[in-house]
Amino acid sequence: MRRSAIVVLATCALLGGCGSAEPRKEGSGGRLRVVAAENFWGSIAVQLGGSKTEVSSIVVNPETDPHSYEPSAKDARTMADAAIAIVNGIGYDEWASRLLAADAEEGQRGPLTLNVGDLLGYRAGDNPHQWYSPAHVHAVVDAIVADYEEALPADRTYFAQQKRAFETQGLARYDALIAEIRRRYAGVPVGYSESIFQPLGGALGLKLLTPYSFARAIAEGIEVSARDKQTVDAQVTGHRVKVWVFNSQNVTPDVQRVNELARAAHIPIATVTETLSPASDTFQQWQVSQLEALERALHEATGR
Amino acid sequence: MSEPTLTWNLARDVEELLRYRFMVHAFEAGTIVAVMAAVVGWYMVLRRQSFAGHTIAVMSFPGAAGAALAGLPSAVGYYVACGVSALAIGRSRRPGRGPASSARSGESAAIGVVQVAGLALGFLFLSLYSGVLEQLESLLFGTFLGIDSAQVLTLLIVAIAVLGALALAGRPLLLASLDPEVARARGVPVRTLDVGFLLLLGLAVAATSQITGALLVFVLLVAPPAAAQVLTPRPARSLAVSVALSLLITWLALSISYFSPYPLGFFITTFAIGVYLLAQLARHVSPRARDRRPPAPVAPPHSGSAPIPLA
Repeated sequence: MRRSAIVVLATCALLGGCGSAEPRKEGSGGRLRVVAAENFWGSIAVQLGGSKTEVSSIVVNPETDPHSYEPSAKDARTMADAAIAIVNGIGYDEWASRLLAADAEEGQRGPLTLNVGDLLGYRAGDNPHQWYSPAHVHAVVDAIVADYEEALPADRTYFAQQKRAFETQGLARYDALIAEIRRRYAGVPVGYSESIFQPLGGALGLKLLTPYSFARAIAEGIEVSARDKQTVDAQVTGHRVKVWVFNSQNVTPDVQRVNELARAAHIPIATVTETLSPASDTFQQWQVSQLEALERALHEATGR
Repeated sequence: MSEPTLTWNLARDVEELLRYRFMVHAFEAGTIVAVMAAVVGWYMVLRRQSFAGHTIAVMSFPGAAGAALAGLPSAVGYYVACGVSALAIGRSRRPGRGPASSARSGESAAIGVVQVAGLALGFLFLSLYSGVLEQLESLLFGTFLGIDSAQVLTLLIVAIAVLGALALAGRPLLLASLDPEVARARGVPVRTLDVGFLLLLGLAVAATSQITGALLVFVLLVAPPAAAQVLTPRPARSLAVSVALSLLITWLALSISYFSPYPLGFFITTFAIGVYLLAQLARHVSPRARDRRPPAPVAPPHSGSAPIPLA
């Protein structure tokens, strides 16, 4: 046994000297390597970085739940090789922060990490779906560009141009739709299945009647309390909500039942998804098509 | 990015494997865990306490859930839950009076009760904890990609403590494991050793389950020692074989899962089962091994000519 202890110590000492090889921070053609844990942030990073960056996103499959994503060795390499890492934080992608920590070493610089939760001052337990908040999307745009400028100071003007183009052209329709829905439909009571819609619903000025504890329980896959369930059912059957919004990527039996009630009560239904759907869409294409569908449903419900 | 591929150039492969610090941490943690699990598991298999070991492993679930609820790191929950359950099982072990079989069945029933109670507590903690229990899957099946240097250091300290304690108490523990009556007659504190060993097992399981996950702890705790005890009846030699097999399985599984998209748990179990089956096969094929009778002081009572069986 004493021998075993020596083996352990010797191996550790041996291994301690390894792993110091400089990771490949630069992509092909000297481009900055950027990794985003989820593709909604990745899509924004691609459009801001233009030809100066090479962005890869880890969670891209719309069928995958980022909460319970199990990274592969390839994901860990992608993280370690990046110059900039964008993670959502707020307890949403703990695995991504763990990968970064596992590759960190005292005194050595890892990737420049942009943690959206830290940026916005949110903590685990708060609503993590802040890419559904238009104001926070704009804040993240600022932060990504700031990180790009820090990593490549020579290309400041390029990134400033990219940012202006993205904000005035890329996000133009997205911003306009939000302003329009807010102007026309503010105060309309709606119900929603999952906490992803809460930041957007608030920004649109809609009256969110669903108890937040219901939306959060559905989002986090925990049991819905009987009281919340009754409240939600009664709001739909009593026509107190004018539109029902549900996450089509997470239809639990509870949500399924509310959908049926809404259909029976002829309440217009709109859908949202957690990640880009289809995955080939850009962030704004995805958000705009959801907002247009929501606007149609609101129009149908109120006649405005 | 170019995908790393396995080549016949071993030096190149090793260089590729250790290029990233996360893999270096994985190998450090894997090595520590493999040695500790092989040594502690060797005694566990010898003492036929696999069920107790399994129960302690399952306790990492309530441990992690309770730690999440209390806002503590999950490792703290692992160690506390595994330690407490080891003590609970130790307390339920009655001194060997009456027929051995009845004492053993009473003991396994008590272990079963500890196990269900722990699982029930885990579910309670999980429903009380309002957030998502992050990484429930990696809790059950383990992950080698997220090990940071602080975790490696903790593992090293636990391993040194456990192996040090076993180095001091190894000989009397061996005697107490094989023949408690004789050990007691010679003045060995059998009861203290019983509880003490369970506590060491608890520590080892808590540490191992952080790498292999709660469900796969058994892979390293049972397969290498069982194979080693099949291969040779001499304690020192079989202990060394157990450590060697465990290291081989761990290193091989870590290396292959680095180059492949499939999870570590699959490779580690496959190799471990393979090693055990090969050991059994070797015993049946080699006439020398088949005819060999375990030397008297090492043979467990009533085991006849069979090598020490898997508990």
